[in-house]
Amino acid sequence: MKIEINNLRFTYPTGLEALKGISLTINPGEQVAIVGQNGAGKTTLVRHFNGLLKPTSGAVSIGEWETTKYSTAKLASRVGYVFQNPDEQLFSRDVLTEVSFGPKNLGYEKSKVDELVKRAMALTELHDKTDTNPYDLSPTWRKMVALASIIAMDTPIIIFDEPTTGQDAVNVGRIANVIAELKREGKTVITITHDIDFCAENFERIIALAKGQVLLDGSARDILGQEEILAQTYVDPPQLTRLGKMLGLKEIVTRPEEFLKAIL
Amino acid sequence: MHERLSFHIQRDSFLHRLNPLTKLVLTLTLILLAFTFPWYWTPHLLVLIAVIPLSLLGKVFREFMLTALRLIIPAAGFLFLMQAFFQPIGTDIIFQFYFLDMTSESVLFAFRNAMRIVVMVSAFTLFLLTTHPSELMSDLTRRGLPGQFAYVIISTLQILPQIMAKAQTIISAQRSRGLDTESSFLKRAGSLIPLIGPLVFGSLVEVEERAIAIEARGFTSKHVKTSLHEIPDPTFDKSLRWVLLILIIISIGLNLWLS
Repeated sequence: MKIEINNLRFTYPTGLEALKGISLTINPGEQVAIVGQNGAGKTTLVRHFNGLLKPTSGAVSIGEWETTKYSTAKLASRVGYVFQNPDEQLFSRDVLTEVSFGPKNLGYEKSKVDELVKRAMALTELHDKTDTNPYDLSPTWRKMVALASIIAMDTPIIIFDEPTTGQDAVNVGRIANVIAELKREGKTVITITHDIDFCAENFERIIALAKGQVLLDGSARDILGQEEILAQTYVDPPQLTRLGKMLGLKEIVTRPEEFLKAIL
Repeated sequence: MHERLSFHIQRDSFLHRLNPLTKLVLTLTLILLAFTFPWYWTPHLLVLIAVIPLSLLGKVFREFMLTALRLIIPAAGFLFLMQAFFQPIGTDIIFQFYFLDMTSESVLFAFRNAMRIVVMVSAFTLFLLTTHPSELMSDLTRRGLPGQFAYVIISTLQILPQIMAKAQTIISAQRSRGLDTESSFLKRAGSLIPLIGPLVFGSLVEVEERAIAIEARGFTSKHVKTSLHEIPDPTFDKSLRWVLLILIIISIGLNLWLS
């Protein structure tokens, strides 16, 4: 499902203008990472996608739905949003009930709910934890429960807000697998992240925001090479890209396999 | 986006510069005088010669008047009507409403009580408008108030806005999962559990973390603690507090002597 953002401006009630005219199109099935310094407007932007925030001016459309005309509960059938802190959404006594909450809210039939929940639990490697209380799990696993609870909603668009913050390497690997699988299923994945290595390895398109405006937008390779411009929003290119540059490699490398190919 | 819980308004004025304890004593003096000084017109006069001039002196006249109009006058007016009608004193009926009598005695009685409430609430409003809560608490702690007590007051003022922000995030997170919080009453009542669960859990966890954090800074240590922020307490403040204390003693003394 296509996301269209047309000259979006947003001002908080405090008078802070967080978004100053953003126009973007995100095509179905794209994997997009949004980077930028704190306060650049990343979260404000993605909260417009499921109607948690409504534009001060301009418009956001999800498919043919303009977000001002639909409630967040309605838009939830098209846009899944995983919040940064799982503790701000987990409330059930066991993982299974927690993961079923979203699809049930969307009004799917019981058999479909069961199937979606099963698939989401398998994808997030939670299948042996169905009866555990989410609060008995470690924070990394709670994060996976939060991921599963949104994936089970089977929305064409999924947003992750800083999925890798505070996660160990094993769990970052799991999250990367989840994103790869969602890509295979043709879903749009939008991720806010400060983890630029994660960004380089898992996303095709990168949007860099600075002070409420789009600073850069393009393929990962093009964006991550632009060290000076990225520095404006306090983003460092991945270590490999910088190393490649120092070694004087002709092309910009972002992933280990590209790096190896370039130096061998 | 963040609600303010403290009334305090930062300005540079005589009243702001007074030591917090002096302001607290001043507030209590006004209230005690209004309630104990054995002269009918005391509270009325106090509003005219103390409360209003002090609000001007503290450069918070406008904010004070807004609070007065919105909160103090309606509350005192209600109290006045209740007491004027229901106080079973006096025989000189001046107004009747079905079975309710208003006598000239009950009106006078109610008027004074309402004015006492006005003095009490407005003195406190002035105090809160011109005193930063953490300044008051650090001054009182320095003078020997148990740190635990100060913690309860300050943390309430700080935690509530945090809890409200947290509640807002939780509502957003659950609405993103298709939770309907905007339709019928029954649906909304059912949606309380997903909202309250994370809020209560999260708040309990935060309380524990906060306890650990302040203990790491020696909260329960018995040693005398130094403060980064020194609150001045000049001789003028000390003398003023003695004068106010004498006023309180005279007022209570007269009250006891005459009764």
